[in-house]
Amino acid sequence: MKEIFADFYNKIVDFFTKTEEKDKTKEVARNRLKLVLMQDRTNLNPRLLERLRGEMIDLLSKYVVMDKELLELNFTPEDDQLALMLSIPVIRAKDEEEIEAALKAEDEEKERLAKLAKEAEEDDDDEEYDELEEGDEEDTEDEEVSENAENEEETVNETSEQTETSEEQPKPKKKKKKKKKKSSQTENSESEENKDNNGNNEENTNAETSQQGENPEQESVSEEQNNSENKEENKEEN
Amino acid sequence: MTGRVLVITSGKGGVGKTTTTANIGTALAKAGNKVVLIDTDLGLRNLDLLLGLENRIVYTIVDVVEERCKLKQALVKDKKNPNLCLLAAAQTRDKTAITGEQLKSICEELKEENDFIIIDCPAGIEQGFENATAGASEAIVVATPEMSAVRDADRIIGLLEAKEHIEKYHLLLNRVRPNLIRTNDMMSVEDVVEILSCELIGIIPEDTGIITSTNKGEPIVNDEKSLAGQAYKNVAKRIMGEDVEFLNIDEPQDFISKVKAFFLKLFKKEA
Repeated sequence: MKEIFADFYNKIVDFFTKTEEKDKTKEVARNRLKLVLMQDRTNLNPRLLERLRGEMIDLLSKYVVMDKELLELNFTPEDDQLALMLSIPVIRAKDEEEIEAALKAEDEEKERLAKLAKEAEEDDDDEEYDELEEGDEEDTEDEEVSENAENEEETVNETSEQTETSEEQPKPKKKKKKKKKKSSQTENSESEENKDNNGNNEENTNAETSQQGENPEQESVSEEQNNSENKEENKEEN
Repeated sequence: MTGRVLVITSGKGGVGKTTTTANIGTALAKAGNKVVLIDTDLGLRNLDLLLGLENRIVYTIVDVVEERCKLKQALVKDKKNPNLCLLAAAQTRDKTAITGEQLKSICEELKEENDFIIIDCPAGIEQGFENATAGASEAIVVATPEMSAVRDADRIIGLLEAKEHIEKYHLLLNRVRPNLIRTNDMMSVEDVVEILSCELIGIIPEDTGIITSTNKGEPIVNDEKSLAGQAYKNVAKRIMGEDVEFLNIDEPQDFISKVKAFFLKLFKKEA
């Protein structure tokens, strides 16, 4: 009997407090707004932010082992300025040897690239051919990432150093590479985030279309007012 | 006398700029100030309607600029309050008919004989906005607790900050619906203030009285019973420098929410 009564009491409490506890659309609006305002204020779109995040991970991975999926990157207003808040869940700091190894590998990579660039510079005749090859690669990149990785780097450096006009081309390529490097590390998290982004985009477009739907109404109203007032003015003139 | 020049702006349309202008102006005039309201929404004027002065307009701001009349001739006196005047926008012209400099010099002239010049800014961030803000040294940004309005307000705040002649700006949150905030269906006042990080000058509850008052051509501050009218009066007081507490608009209005609020209180006490 007591139990039944307690159950009944809980149900009543639930009924009256339900709306308080539920996370309703307000939170969704708040969070979406914060994100969109941050983008508005900084001109950093989701793609650039994702890239920034990836580069941060690449950079920091040399020194610490961290939970890449939980790395948070946020802009928050602080007094008059905008602060970039980076929250990194560190699993453990790398020991000296590991860091040295990572740095050494990086240096070697740099040297290798410089060497390749030099070689390419000497090899003026192949320039056009390389550029053509590059264009082809861009399309098939997704399938042959690891195989082409070396070739890609070669061509990028060649073109950027040799001809200023073709500088625009290699840039987006570099971006892609960065992304890929990261995606191999945190494939799951990225694909999830992409999904999220897509979801957001859809919502955005929905919101936009609904706004657009409102506009014609407003316009027609104001037109009516326009007309009626014009008539009035005409009357006055007459 | 050197009056203060305020611009009421928002970015987004339909959030209540004109209503706010009419009500704050009326409230300030009722408190004994000499007030001129300027409608800068050329081609889409509405401030005259809200004040019930649409039949009295002979000259507009464009006539003043193009020197077809003197500034004083174009000022339309309010029906009830001789302290309140309207400088109407031209309905048959567009935003290019006046420039910011011209509006600025009109404001300078009006400043000499008035306490407050309140400019009703058109929606958008184009020429109309530039013109309306050119002569002002203070701004009130009107927003509603909706995403699109808050986003546009943020943009406007950014633009105002870049203008050196705007010394201060405040946020006025309009059409707040306590019922929806209570059920977490609308962003609360605190949420919006936090997001925009802008000082608040008023919270105006959604009020059906606004529609009926527009129908009559009489600002809602003239209605002593209206909550929105009271809120607008408080905004006017704050503009005059008084320290007024924000109105509690969170009183349950309908029967069911009253009952709900009662039980909520009860359970909270027990828990």
